Amino acid sequence: MIPAEHFYYIGAALFSIGLAIVLTKRNAIMILMGVELMLNASNINFLAYNKAGSLDGQFFALFVIVVAAAEASVALAIVLKVYKHFKTINLDKIADIKD
Amino acid sequence: MALISIALVIFLIPLTAFAMNVIAPKSRARTASYISIILLLISTILSSILLLKIGSESAVTRMDWFTVGSYTFEVGVLLDFQGVLLLVIVNMVSLLVHIYSVLYMAKDPGYTRYFGFLSLFTFAMAGIILSDNLLMVFVFWELVGLSSYLLIGHWYSKDSAAKASKKAFIVNRIGDTGFVVALCIIWYQFGTFNLDEIQVLMESSQLQNGFWVSGLSALPAVWLSFMGIGLFLAAVGKSAQFPLQVWLPDAMEGPTPVSALIHAATMVAAGVFLMSRVVVLLDLTTLAIIATVGSITAFMGAVAALAQYDIKKVLAYSTISQLGYMLIGIGTGAYEAALFHLFTHAFFKAALFLAVGSVIHSLHALKQKHNLNIDVQDMRIMGGLKSNLPVTFYTYLIAAFSLMGLPLFSGFLSKDALLVASLNWSAAVGQLAYGVSLLAFATVTLTAFYMGRQLLLVFFGDFRSGFSVSEIQEGGWHFKVALIILCTLSIGFFWSFNPFDYMSSWLLNTLPAKLNSTPQFDLEVRDATNHSFVGVGSIALVMAGVLLAWLKFKPGKILTFAESDQLSFLERVSINNWYLDKFYERTILSFIRWLTLVLAQVERKVIDRLVNSFGWIGVIFSFVVGWLDKVFIDGLINFSAFFSSQVGGMTKSFQYGKVQSFIIFALVSLALIIFLIL
Repeated sequence: MIPAEHFYYIGAALFSIGLAIVLTKRNAIMILMGVELMLNASNINFLAYNKAGSLDGQFFALFVIVVAAAEASVALAIVLKVYKHFKTINLDKIADIKD
Repeated sequence: MALISIALVIFLIPLTAFAMNVIAPKSRARTASYISIILLLISTILSSILLLKIGSESAVTRMDWFTVGSYTFEVGVLLDFQGVLLLVIVNMVSLLVHIYSVLYMAKDPGYTRYFGFLSLFTFAMAGIILSDNLLMVFVFWELVGLSSYLLIGHWYSKDSAAKASKKAFIVNRIGDTGFVVALCIIWYQFGTFNLDEIQVLMESSQLQNGFWVSGLSALPAVWLSFMGIGLFLAAVGKSAQFPLQVWLPDAMEGPTPVSALIHAATMVAAGVFLMSRVVVLLDLTTLAIIATVGSITAFMGAVAALAQYDIKKVLAYSTISQLGYMLIGIGTGAYEAALFHLFTHAFFKAALFLAVGSVIHSLHALKQKHNLNIDVQDMRIMGGLKSNLPVTFYTYLIAAFSLMGLPLFSGFLSKDALLVASLNWSAAVGQLAYGVSLLAFATVTLTAFYMGRQLLLVFFGDFRSGFSVSEIQEGGWHFKVALIILCTLSIGFFWSFNPFDYMSSWLLNTLPAKLNSTPQFDLEVRDATNHSFVGVGSIALVMAGVLLAWLKFKPGKILTFAESDQLSFLERVSINNWYLDKFYERTILSFIRWLTLVLAQVERKVIDRLVNSFGWIGVIFSFVVGWLDKVFIDGLINFSAFFSSQVGGMTKSFQYGKVQSFIIFALVSLALIIFLIL
């Protein structure tokens, strides 16, 4: 039996990696991928806390996956539109153009 | 009450005439002047009715005017015999002068202005007469002075007329200072300006231990004299008494009808009238001063009239002299006699001036006809005019006899009354006072002499202008009406039932006795003690004067007129009016000029420097302030601007759309919150 702490470590690591990607990457798609990583880190935490027997966490994780899929589709559509409009998906450049 | 309404109508009629003449267009000038004449005729008739009704009664109506603090000033109308009689005379003379002026001023460009100011003058004069308090009298007094100024300066483009009007105005102001001082004293002592109240208060006031006590108020006794002298000074200015008589001869620069109305008959008499109104306020010192000044003026005026060549100047000096007589009357306690002379003098002097105006008018026509360069007022070019100016001649003759004081004429009666009063006063007061009587009697001879001289020079002998006397033509009916009415009223019968005896005069017998407050000598102008002596004596003096004039200027005698540098001493004194103008020029005027120079220096050296140094201080101060401004205030403002721009630079990055930095800030903040809470 793998002790619960290991799951926490993996969740924390995943969340940190996702956060780092979100903060450092300039590409909008890469940032979305970082966000996915952070969502999955939270899923792992839900499951890890549910090891005792209740199924609430697992259901919640399922909801998160569904929401993440919807979010990804919407966000990618926005990114597509942004690319068509600005001819780039570099967030810094888009911010500069704003003025 | 009805009487008061009539008085108010009389008061307002001339004002209406004034307003009408002011707004009348040039094309309607003649119509406007005729309407003024009709209006004045109405007011003359109304005032005559008033005179018949008033008798020896008096009526007062007054209402509040304005309140200052706890003091209330009033306006009111006072009707009494002397006032209403003067009102009749003012309106009548003014009416006749209006009629006369229609012809005299016919070609004048300032025709409507002239008639407007004549009416304004009549209004102001009615104001003086009808006012029941001294404050109103003062207001109208000034208005009279103003209209006199305006009319003397009628031909304002002429330098001498402009100067003469200014001189008259300024000299009158000197007298008015005295009026204001007297008003202050009266207000302090009595707390009222109403004439009847002043009379009652004055009669109840007493002199105690050198104090003049009236009610609760007490002043050192000398203020009583100051008050009287102040009032007298006002009369000195207005009635052209020594030493302020210098303005009246110059006032002859105005049109001759104006001289007749204002500077002979009415305005100059306002001073005498004022004195008769306030006669209760005059103490013995003041009365003595008045009598002395009056006699000096009478004599000086008569002497100055002796050698004049200007036909109007003779009459001007004569007016000064006669006004001196009136003030002798006031000063010797015979205010009735003074008023009597005022009234008779108004008629015969107006007649004289209008007759002289007629002469000037005729000569002016001659001058224009031949385009001559002569002075039409110079008696040296006149002579022998009696055949061609018959109405003028006979009216002049009657008025001149009246002025000389020949029996059967009005002047005899009033002059007699004055001479008797002066003699009685001299007898009561003492030896030095006989000087007043002496000067008064001497003036009788001088008056006869200068009037005889003028009569002979103007109307008898040969016409000396070099033209035929037949070219002279008399003016139209306007002149004749005015002259005939005025000279008719100079005949003695109109004034006294017995033309040899002023004591039977209705006028003197109607005037109430005043002077109760100074009972130290008990004079009665109707006292007959010296009457026959004075009457006969004055006739003899007149005859002496006429005889002298006859010997010197009799018709047929070859008259030679000396050049001005060959005149005798007496003639030079006379023609220069005792060198009074030169004296004032050398003393007072040069002192004032010196003073102005000194003041100008003081201004430049002291005041200007003071102002400049204040300026410098201001400049230095502002430099310092400017520096402080630049360094501190500007620095503060710049610093705050710099600070806020830095803060703004820092904070604006939050809002700059860098999504990732938002997340960093959110994260850091979250971490901070977690740290702080846990």
